Amino acid sequence: MSVAGFIAIAFMLTMYVLLDGYDLGVAAVAPLIARSDRERAATMAGIGPFWNGNEVWLIAAGAALFALFPAAYASSFSGFYLPLIIVLWLLMLRGIALELREHFPSEIWHQFWDAAFSASSALLIFVFGIALGNLLRGVPLDAAGYFQGTFSFLLNPYALLVGVFAFATLGVHGATFVAMRIEGELAARAIQIVAGGSWLVLILYLAVTALTVSMNAPLRAPWLFAMPALSLTALGLMWRSARAGRAREAFVMSSCFIATLLAASAGTIFPYLLPAFPARNRGISIFAAAPSETALACALTVTLIGVAAVAIYAPIVWRRMARKVRVE
Amino acid sequence: MDPVLADRLQFAFTIMFHYLFPIGTMGLAPFVAAYTWKAAHGRDEESARIAAFWTKIFGINFAAGVVSGIPMEFQFGTNWAAFSRNTGSVVGQPLAMESLFAFFLESVFLGALLYRRRGVPSMFVAWAGVMICAGAWLSGFFIVATNAWMQHPVGYRIAADGTILLQNIWAVLFSRFAYWQFAHVLCGALLAGGFIVAGVGAYYLLSRRDEAIGRRLVRAGTIVAFAFALIVVFPTGDRNGRDVTQYQPVKLAAQEGLFTTEREAPLAIIGMPDVAHKRLIDPIFVPDILSFLSYGNYKANVNGLDAYARELWPPVELTYYAYHIMVGLGTIFAAAATLAVALLAFGMLWKARWMLWILMLLMPFPFVANEAGWVAAEVGRQPWIVYGLMKTAAGGSPTVSSGETVFTLIGFAGMYFLLGVLFLYLVLREIGRGPSGSEA
Repeated sequence: MSVAGFIAIAFMLTMYVLLDGYDLGVAAVAPLIARSDRERAATMAGIGPFWNGNEVWLIAAGAALFALFPAAYASSFSGFYLPLIIVLWLLMLRGIALELREHFPSEIWHQFWDAAFSASSALLIFVFGIALGNLLRGVPLDAAGYFQGTFSFLLNPYALLVGVFAFATLGVHGATFVAMRIEGELAARAIQIVAGGSWLVLILYLAVTALTVSMNAPLRAPWLFAMPALSLTALGLMWRSARAGRAREAFVMSSCFIATLLAASAGTIFPYLLPAFPARNRGISIFAAAPSETALACALTVTLIGVAAVAIYAPIVWRRMARKVRVE
Repeated sequence: MDPVLADRLQFAFTIMFHYLFPIGTMGLAPFVAAYTWKAAHGRDEESARIAAFWTKIFGINFAAGVVSGIPMEFQFGTNWAAFSRNTGSVVGQPLAMESLFAFFLESVFLGALLYRRRGVPSMFVAWAGVMICAGAWLSGFFIVATNAWMQHPVGYRIAADGTILLQNIWAVLFSRFAYWQFAHVLCGALLAGGFIVAGVGAYYLLSRRDEAIGRRLVRAGTIVAFAFALIVVFPTGDRNGRDVTQYQPVKLAAQEGLFTTEREAPLAIIGMPDVAHKRLIDPIFVPDILSFLSYGNYKANVNGLDAYARELWPPVELTYYAYHIMVGLGTIFAAAATLAVALLAFGMLWKARWMLWILMLLMPFPFVANEAGWVAAEVGRQPWIVYGLMKTAAGGSPTVSSGETVFTLIGFAGMYFLLGVLFLYLVLREIGRGPSGSEA
């Protein structure tokens, strides 16, 4: 049952990265593609109805971690105290920017919040990438499972590279969303970013994958070797759809690409929720962190019912709201 | 500084600031849903205007609630690691349910309500309003259930290593303590919603603008405020009081400022507790009433603080004042709402401008009363983080120092200050523009 719990959390985090990933990506690429106040307003309007629901996946994953693996939740959240609080501040700033921009018809006001929105989103992607990098590499833990390192340990070259990779990947993901949801010139510029950005993503992907594999030399699961093939296929198809101007297809392929990356990451970390550095096996594994069978069963049931319900009503709402946004 | 004190200050500050917005969300959601529904069904232009007006205010309020609420789910782990590790098996469950069952529901449908896209039928928007209302109330239930478990733990067992493990989730969710506490909290929010709607309407009538809409708002608001001003006292407040009497008698003694155990205990209406000398300064007592309210019997024995070891006392002054502010304001609300409804029934309210003044000026006070109620409940729970099972002093994060928490507390203060100023400005501006200024 612990394994099912691990899968549930990995699934929710993947959903978070796919969904909130496009909002973050849109914000990060907005300075590159949206040239006028009205175009920037259109990019924000494109994600306006969705970002709040998307962000709930992160909150839900945190809550599920709390219910499923309280020990891991407690030691990782308090261990990474400052980085986590900074993430919270960035999330808050981004929410404020997104909600308040349209409340004044002043261009100065808009410019300020656009900049705050793009900067906080870009920084969030970068920080999430660094977090993932450290998760793959492992972090120094004491016997009780509390983080023992410093801020500078977390900013190691490998994690920074993953941060840059995350930035490129989600930036392209956001651009596919803009191309799909917004009409006109803005969409044309976005699709060019996708086609060109694919090459950058490819290079970074190869570098990160090579480093990850060399770090975790004896890979546990043989299926992990198949993942790069899937990732590269998705990336290739995304590039082709972008070249052909098929935005929706590019968005789907970008989502597939990200999903394969996160599946591979989850497979690499498994069975740890927080692997240790340098010896992975001193980390917090799902078997040590689980509370009790009753609690696991309850939290898993809640997760399953909750996700199933969202899977039913969210698409209904999204379809209603899916009209293309026009630059006005 | 003691690290746990810093953690408590940060939690108290962030949760109290955040809670201002859920009061508005839970209290205004039914108004938004009802007016949106009417606008979708009705032929009248006016309902559509009112719906659009409240939707805007609700949207600003909801956004501030989301933004200030982001840290809540994470603070248990960052600042209360020992508590989370020890009780997550139970406490994590209702919190997970809140995100998965309620928060998703609200957030997904909110987009449909706020960003009215071309071609989205108004019936769909009306349904979105109903769903958001359901989500907001459900969310409140799960949060209160979590708190109720900390007030009165049930449905758990203790493992060999001392960890508290979940035994029965239904016992946790449907404990009597939980549903009466939730009913009381929800009534408090609806009372606030009623007074906000009535107060805004009164403002329009006093300024002699938007008078037709103003009358509708005052009428709907005062009726709702009247109903919930009564229900918040009886039965919900009464039942909460009895649960406290039964399960947390020390809290009862601190709330009432009862230092010595008494048969035929009097109720202190006012008075200032002097903890050093264990007495109330300048009190006004009503004889025997405390015995009656607590046990339904004028002769019952009520334990005072002297019946308990000093280290089990909650901070007496804060608990006492918070409780008395809540009860005092509750009494004023009941009186004002009764008077307003009576004037309304006799058709005299529109001429009684003094009453409209009272309704307008009362607007901020339901927020004060709701917050004070929570302070009484939470400060009164001390020194326990989980009543009778775990002390607050043992709940902090072993790796987080007070210096770190003070730093992040300052950061939160700055962030919330910005949010608070923007929120107030935007809402007041929206009220200033009024329902006819907004396009329906």
